[in-house]
Amino acid sequence: MSLLAVSNLTKNYRRTGKPVAAVDDVSFTIEPGETLALAGPSGSGKSTIARLVLRLIEPDAGRIEFEGSDFLVLRGAALRARRARLQMVFQDPLAAFNPRATVARVLDDPLRIHGIASRAERPRRIAALLERVGLAADLAPRAIHEISGGQRQRVAIARAIATKPSLIVLDEAVSALDVSVRGQILDLLLDLQRQDKIAYLFISHDLGVVRAVAHRVILLNAGRIAESGDARAVIDAPRSAIGRALVAAAPKLNRAKT
Amino acid sequence: MTGLASIRDLTVTYRRDGREVTALRNINLDVVAGERLAIIGESGSGKSTLALAVAGLLPASVRAQGHIDWFLPSNFGAKAPPSVLPDISPARGEIAPSSPRSPITRGAKGEPSEKLLISPLAGEMSGRTEGGAKDRQHFHFCPLGGRDIGFVFQDLSSSLDPVMTIGKQIAEVARTHLGLDWPQSFATAKTLLERVRLPDPDAAMRAFPHQLSGGQKQRVAIAAAIAAGPKLLIADEATSALDTIVQAEIVTLIRRLVVEDGMTLLFISHDIALAAELADRIAVFRHGALIELGTTRQVIDAPSQAYTRTLIDAHIGLDADLLLNRSGLPA
Amino acid sequence: MSPLRRFLRTPEAVAGAILLGALAAMALSASLLFPGDPQAIAGPALLPPFQDWSLPLGTDRLGRDVLAELFHGARTSLAVGLAAAAAALAIGAVVGTLAGFADGLVDEVLMRVTDAFQTVPSFLLALAFVSVVGPSLGIVVIAIALGTWTGPARVARAEVLSIRERDYVANARAIGMHPLEIAFREVLPNALPPVLAMSSVIVAAAILTEAALSFLGLGDPNRVTWGGMIAEGRTVLRTAPFLSIVPGIALVLTVLGVYLAGEGIVETTAVKRGLS
Repeated sequence: MSLLAVSNLTKNYRRTGKPVAAVDDVSFTIEPGETLALAGPSGSGKSTIARLVLRLIEPDAGRIEFEGSDFLVLRGAALRARRARLQMVFQDPLAAFNPRATVARVLDDPLRIHGIASRAERPRRIAALLERVGLAADLAPRAIHEISGGQRQRVAIARAIATKPSLIVLDEAVSALDVSVRGQILDLLLDLQRQDKIAYLFISHDLGVVRAVAHRVILLNAGRIAESGDARAVIDAPRSAIGRALVAAAPKLNRAKT
Repeated sequence: MTGLASIRDLTVTYRRDGREVTALRNINLDVVAGERLAIIGESGSGKSTLALAVAGLLPASVRAQGHIDWFLPSNFGAKAPPSVLPDISPARGEIAPSSPRSPITRGAKGEPSEKLLISPLAGEMSGRTEGGAKDRQHFHFCPLGGRDIGFVFQDLSSSLDPVMTIGKQIAEVARTHLGLDWPQSFATAKTLLERVRLPDPDAAMRAFPHQLSGGQKQRVAIAAAIAAGPKLLIADEATSALDTIVQAEIVTLIRRLVVEDGMTLLFISHDIALAAELADRIAVFRHGALIELGTTRQVIDAPSQAYTRTLIDAHIGLDADLLLNRSGLPA
Repeated sequence: MSPLRRFLRTPEAVAGAILLGALAAMALSASLLFPGDPQAIAGPALLPPFQDWSLPLGTDRLGRDVLAELFHGARTSLAVGLAAAAAALAIGAVVGTLAGFADGLVDEVLMRVTDAFQTVPSFLLALAFVSVVGPSLGIVVIAIALGTWTGPARVARAEVLSIRERDYVANARAIGMHPLEIAFREVLPNALPPVLAMSSVIVAAAILTEAALSFLGLGDPNRVTWGGMIAEGRTVLRTAPFLSIVPGIALVLTVLGVYLAGEGIVETTAVKRGLS
């Protein structure tokens, strides 16, 4: 049984009166512990799919089944409780946190909301989470805006894994990072996946990164699936026009082989 | 090989939360006329500060030391279409100091002038009056942002005026710097929109920025930047907010325009692969210092600095080793 | 530079702070310097100022000490001004946040209610409310707040509409935070600065409204108020103009002080926000 099964997902946006399909009849599945990448040019609907899967926005049509039950029927408290299993890491870690927050508060929220740890136990759990993502526990009292971009994204990952989710949506989660930090964050994400069997919905415009970390890839264009399959096979020999255009446009570092 | 600009001992500091932060430290860099020079570095490397300093766009609160000498002979513009290039005459240069300009920018025409520590703050101080007045005698040419230097920013939403039509924004640049009247300026603007390959230039002339896509806006920003026929085009992360396909198109456009107009290109980027595709030379910045400078092939194939090698190794290209292989697909 | 030092470097802010400080000192020291009832008879009626140094500002029509009345009146002005402004800002911020965050019907209803309040002149609203319910300090505070909360509500709503689209609000929803907690813990604190920037104008307006109500005899009858003093002095305006002028000057200086200090605080926080 698939962890996530999305079928015939459709979302229209109204722009100057006439509806425009942001996501048009998209279906896919994600297996436990798998990384599925969504790639495509801007406006292809990949971020909209992320937000639909997380129910941050509601679809116009289609079904989302998560962990074997209908995710779209959930309302109110039931939906909020279910959200523990489905988390998200945003592109810009600075924008993704309340500008007034401290690291401790950011990590305290999920533990408190989902009743994972008692008030007395939470500082210890926060320290453990920070260590899990390779940060020092004494970072907890610092304000979010005081720490570096790489540290912030580690905190975002710590927050996402705090509720022990089975699926994390990574929306361009490494795109805004410096390249030297990006490798470390990708390593961390893959380590967590191996240890906890977390599945990732990995959204990226960077085919190089997609090819390196994803098991399967879906190439999107104008809200529709253009091509899908094994990440390496698709990117090494794209069959769709958009796939070929994306591969041709990727910056290439033609190094003399050493 | 002729120099276009010579940056000497450039140090830029600013204050944040009561602390002095050095954005650039003792930068010495020669920009060769007609070359495509890429400035690469990660966040906090000072690459954008350098772009602003060269363009004379540093905010007044920032303290800059050192100087930038410009070598712009009056016949420099011969390579570019004469219709869009203003005459650079010593006479015009002499009145330039009264126009807005960077205090650290100083004209020089081969003749040695004494090295002055000029900072924006010092510029307002009484002690500088005498030295400043004397210094002005030596000005032959002072580059003027917009006319001699075109600047393309990363931020698509804030580089264009949201309530002015595209046509007027570009025409205004042409009118201001080329001394054309409005009908001529609008004609120039339309030619420019055709040159940046904007689909349907007639409609675009009357459009407002919000009606255009990200890539189209960046084409418009480039058209505005080259409207006055600048000798130097600075692109500061001009493609970073765009997706890969549009990025490749914009890079192609910049490459073509630079060749057609005989411009010098300063391409600021965090992406070493993108820089390598476009530039003749690459300068690597880290923590406000220039740590490596060489031709693209030298820097990519045989980097002298460990940090440069780290940057190159961190690039995940389409031929990179699979990170997944280390973890394997769970059963 | 610390915010306090930046504040102290703006001359108008310092002037405002001095005026406000003097007012606060008057209010706090009133019962120490002038113990007993300020409305008690202290000397001969209509004694002009600077004649008798035990009664430096003279006496009114009934022989009450004007200086004592002035000090005790400062208490009322300050208390009513601050309480009414605080109430208006609190109501406005909560209504604006709920309207902006809830969307749809709730937003529609709350904003039409706001419209309704805004179309009635705030002074008439206060006047009507006090005449119906009866004058007392608490009622005057509520009456003034009723007419002034709409401005903060509109500003808060506009700010919330922009903030709720930010990633950190989406992030809070994604971790399953309750909508009310998102509204009041994530959104409201970040929407407050522009709302608080209105506080100086609101406090100044509240002090003036209180004075106007008292002038019309709708203030708390058991308290000395500057508005009431001006009203009292009006009957003898030709023979003893000082009875109206002295509290009038106090009122002008207070409003000026509140406004200058408030602007100073807004300026300093704006600079701080601009830098970070």
